[in-house]
Amino acid sequence: MHEMGIAGGIVEYSLSLVDERRASRVTEIWVEVGELMQVDVEALSEALRTLLSGPKLSGAKTNVKVRSAAFSCRRCGEGWKMDEVKKQLASVPSSLLVEEPDSDEVPLHFLPYLYPAFVHCPKCGSSDVAVADGQDVQLMRVVLE
Amino acid sequence: MTWSARGFPYQEHEARRKVDQIGSVVMVGSGKGGVGKSFVASGLALSLAGMARRTGVLDVDIHGASLPSYLRVRPPLRTGRRGIEPKRSGGVKVMSVALFTGQNPVPMRGDAKESLITQLVALTDWGPLDYLVVDLPPSMGDELLSAFRLFGGKSRFLLVTTPSPNALSVVARLRRLIASERIPLEGVVLNMAYASERRGRSYPFGVADASSVRKMLRADVIAELPLEPAVNSESLVEVLRKSKETSTAFKALADRVVRGP
Repeated sequence: MHEMGIAGGIVEYSLSLVDERRASRVTEIWVEVGELMQVDVEALSEALRTLLSGPKLSGAKTNVKVRSAAFSCRRCGEGWKMDEVKKQLASVPSSLLVEEPDSDEVPLHFLPYLYPAFVHCPKCGSSDVAVADGQDVQLMRVVLE
Repeated sequence: MTWSARGFPYQEHEARRKVDQIGSVVMVGSGKGGVGKSFVASGLALSLAGMARRTGVLDVDIHGASLPSYLRVRPPLRTGRRGIEPKRSGGVKVMSVALFTGQNPVPMRGDAKESLITQLVALTDWGPLDYLVVDLPPSMGDELLSAFRLFGGKSRFLLVTTPSPNALSVVARLRRLIASERIPLEGVVLNMAYASERRGRSYPFGVADASSVRKMLRADVIAELPLEPAVNSESLVEVLRKSKETSTAFKALADRVVRGP
């Protein structure tokens, strides 16, 4: 469901570009999704395909990529990747999971910038963690005709 | 024709779209901690909802959120068709970082706070609102500046202070910042202005007369709220239902916000 919300915003913005630039239609949309958001790329692509209808959007190609996340500890300098974070997120209590129709999700799925509340250094345990990228959805390119 | 949107911040765009659906934003802040900002923000939001205004309240106090306690809302949240559904309390839509984190501490630096607040606004399904009350944390840091940037164009500021000179001197600094950022000031709320006792009123935080506050803060005192110990044990919804004195003061404040001076 969250993927549908993201897709809706992207499509709406792309549509506004058609009018703003006085183009006739959108032919390509390139999106990059931060790995920390744990967005289902296939679900987002499917949501985009579903919403790309009508004379200004129909037939537009989509390209969705994941931007990798890398983590480091500001206290001890340790570095780690998303695999370690996934292990840590498995212990988020069910009382904090956001309820979705199909499956409940960890809060970082919606607010990736909340990582300091859920991610800690696997070596020293500190929550003073730095993340290099991978926390946002970015619209990289829209091709208009 | 290719529109290169390299790095286009989708969340920023989405947040602005959400703000467009809000009639008016009332930022509640002080600069000083412990003066009752969340109490005032919650009470104002409940009273606006009581006047049949579609009202939301957003807690941007990332490190020390207390709004969920006043309004007795807690995790889990759930998603809806257009984003995350805010919790509801007394007819008010409520959103806070604490509804995602529970009792987990949230250690966080500078720019990440701004991004977090933007994401929170972007993903919340407020629907159309007449008023969004924004509960700000103490200090004049990232959260306050982020709120100015996101809501500045359609916001007014409500300064909260106690009568204590220590609080007033900090609030005076925020007053100068509000002026430099050209945020319209609605007025000053004197919280904990007095305590009601059987034999009359007492003044545990001192007495600040309206004219000296006006001179110091270059703004009118538009509400004086009593010390309300009942909020420690009951939700504010219940407190306003039971305490005529507090609910009357909040209704007058909401009325002033709706109708202006």
